[in-house]
Amino acid sequence: MTYDVYMHFPVIAIMTFFVGAFIVTLCGSKEKIRNVVAGLAVLIPLTLLALLIKPVMVDGEIIVYWMGNWEPVEGYAIGIAIEVDALSLFFGLLVAIAVALSGFYSFQYIRQDDARGSYFTLYLMLSGGVMGIVLSGDLFNIYVMLEVMTFAAVGLTAFRTWNPNAREAAFKYLTVGSVGSTCALLGIALVYAQCHTLNLAQISAILPDNMTPTMVLAFALLFAGFGCKSFMFPFHPLAADAHGAAPSSVSVLISGVFTKTGVYGIIRVCYFLFRTMGNEAVQVLLIVIGCISMFVCVTMALNQHDFKRLLAFHSISQIGYILTSLGLCTALGVAGGLYHAINHTLFKGLLFLTAGSVLYATGTTYLEKLGGLARKMPKTTILFLVGAFSISGIPPFNGFYSKWMIYQATFEKSAETGNIFYALVTVVCVVTSVMTLASFVKVGHSVFFGQLRPELEGAKDPPLGMRVPMWIMAALCAFSGLFPNIMLDYVIVPAVNAVYNVIPYIDTAMGADYAATHLTSYMPLMNGQLSVIGAWSPLSWLLLFAIALAAVLLVSLLGRSNRSVTCVEDSKHAVFFGGEQAEYSHAAGGDLFWGFKHNLRHYLGYMSRVHTGVTNDYMVWALTALAVIIAYCFAFI
Amino acid sequence: MKKNWKKDDLIVRSLADNYLPIAIVLGFYVILHGNISPGGGFQGGVLAASGVLLLYLGYGFRGIASALNMERMHKLEAIGALAYVFFGLLGIFAGYNFCRNILFDSGSIGDLWSSGTIALMNYAVGFKVLTGVGFLLLLIIALLATEPGHEHDGTITTTEQEALERGDSE
Repeated sequence: MTYDVYMHFPVIAIMTFFVGAFIVTLCGSKEKIRNVVAGLAVLIPLTLLALLIKPVMVDGEIIVYWMGNWEPVEGYAIGIAIEVDALSLFFGLLVAIAVALSGFYSFQYIRQDDARGSYFTLYLMLSGGVMGIVLSGDLFNIYVMLEVMTFAAVGLTAFRTWNPNAREAAFKYLTVGSVGSTCALLGIALVYAQCHTLNLAQISAILPDNMTPTMVLAFALLFAGFGCKSFMFPFHPLAADAHGAAPSSVSVLISGVFTKTGVYGIIRVCYFLFRTMGNEAVQVLLIVIGCISMFVCVTMALNQHDFKRLLAFHSISQIGYILTSLGLCTALGVAGGLYHAINHTLFKGLLFLTAGSVLYATGTTYLEKLGGLARKMPKTTILFLVGAFSISGIPPFNGFYSKWMIYQATFEKSAETGNIFYALVTVVCVVTSVMTLASFVKVGHSVFFGQLRPELEGAKDPPLGMRVPMWIMAALCAFSGLFPNIMLDYVIVPAVNAVYNVIPYIDTAMGADYAATHLTSYMPLMNGQLSVIGAWSPLSWLLLFAIALAAVLLVSLLGRSNRSVTCVEDSKHAVFFGGEQAEYSHAAGGDLFWGFKHNLRHYLGYMSRVHTGVTNDYMVWALTALAVIIAYCFAFI
Repeated sequence: MKKNWKKDDLIVRSLADNYLPIAIVLGFYVILHGNISPGGGFQGGVLAASGVLLLYLGYGFRGIASALNMERMHKLEAIGALAYVFFGLLGIFAGYNFCRNILFDSGSIGDLWSSGTIALMNYAVGFKVLTGVGFLLLLIIALLATEPGHEHDGTITTTEQEALERGDSE
């Protein structure tokens, strides 16, 4: 095994976060030094991981790093390893980008809060925990990092302690989140009892041929555990509370990064460790959960009155897309899921940051109290529109391409298997996308457009330090939408190949031919060829939009002469208005879709009643979900 | 618990006096011998940190406030964690992997100093847990002390002026 210098990069990336967290504690109240330390602590890992793109993504190398040089002896991995294949690096990059941008945003953003020192300690702990999960090659270390991450996130949720909602949300998060952690721990214990090893590569070689009933239980527990971390369907109310209460820069991490560790865990468990993804029952389980999360959360989002809670429900809805797509178990499906994962991190991060800017400028995120901010905060409005277009899947932004891939993957799966069920999944995906657009029209209307509220006269754009990270995110949204081929070639396809072919992952860690001797019944889970049919050329779409924009501008400019004619105040008009002065009347965003809401009132009312906000209820949901998943796995695997 | 319960007890105080050194010595013993006997940095650190509780039982919040500095304790904890990472990084500096034991041929097996970097990392863990758990205990006690009705719990009047202020008749 060669020891190039970049072998050390993953471990240094993880350790930089933790060292940064502790140095921030030492800085105390010296704000400038603290910001420098925190800035370095988020930039160094990003740089290190970016340097790994060349060897891992392009050259297809897999980095296996044994802590303390404890390499496997006689085919048993006793030491702790860091294993970075293209899939790990994909998620690592996603984490590093979101953490760096959100970190720089929060320098300005948390100026309004007290206890700023502990903010960065917890922030860097959370980042380090997430980075540890995605880069680790050891199942127990993943659990430890899961706990580090969860507790840091709970602490950050309760960061604004003056807000009783924040404390309540943190408590819910702590209790229901611990169900997930406990499931994961129990699953890991069962796997360890069976395989006598915790190394991911070795388990992937030993476990798939030994699916005893105990292992079915372990699979169900790990699935539910990681599912809880990704806030999939029955666990979703937590996310709404936590996002609503946490500072926006933390919401970016919880929605963009924290949930992705759950997705990463599900990929590792289903495609690598147990290789149960070939089983149709598991595919259906994942797809059904994905579709329900998608649909339920988007309808819940339509009903929300708080900007950040609405975004939180959308976040789970997008996670539903990712899970559905991963559940298809085709190359296109996995590619679409991973692409949507990185896109979701970017556009949802952008949207949360704009919500944070609105909160920063006005002190509220309650939709009914906002309105007409486009006049006062034009820059934020543009950024919001970029994010809203991206999430609704409007070309040329990135959401379009990944959603297109997902539609195509589900439809192709339907053509392949001849099963109408998958075509229905496509329909659910499209309907969800439409409703996403609808709810962003609502947000845009009630926050940024319409009449300016009199009390918001003083609002203004956030300072440059907050705008620059948002611009970078918006640029990345446009970039990954305009140049999907670059994204596919350099990031997505290597990651899909890593999921497709597990053998190199095992052999690099355990020595050549280890997989061939232990994994006798190896069959690739899916066809490795990634083919995207259909005409998609972002530039032609861009041209279309440019033409449409030019037409609108032309009409607008032509009509300008009429607009300059001002109506003279004349009492003769008063007869049409009842003689009253025009007064402030803002069509609230909630009223935009009143017909739609009225027709769906039974469903929406039922949903609102079910989401009680009581911790006990959510706990019952979580435990029911766990029981159902276990029963399902025993019945069908 | 009764609200006006006061720990003004000579017996508790003299027991705390006697047990405090024992707890701390035992804690440091377990930390130091972590590499050759059961226990280790974490267990020893918790044992030694129990000294904070003994101090509280004997002398109340005031005794703690005069003996220990919470802010400093918090920073020392960070230093303990940084020391651990530093000893881990020594492996990289020496040309091996992270956490590699670079002093592996130090002393014969069974000696106190026989495990090289591992012992140093163990001491760092012990220091971190000692300060970390100590800080947690201090935090809990401080919260107790600020609760209404508990202002003077476990504190002993030291001056006549104070006794007058509290209205103690003894």
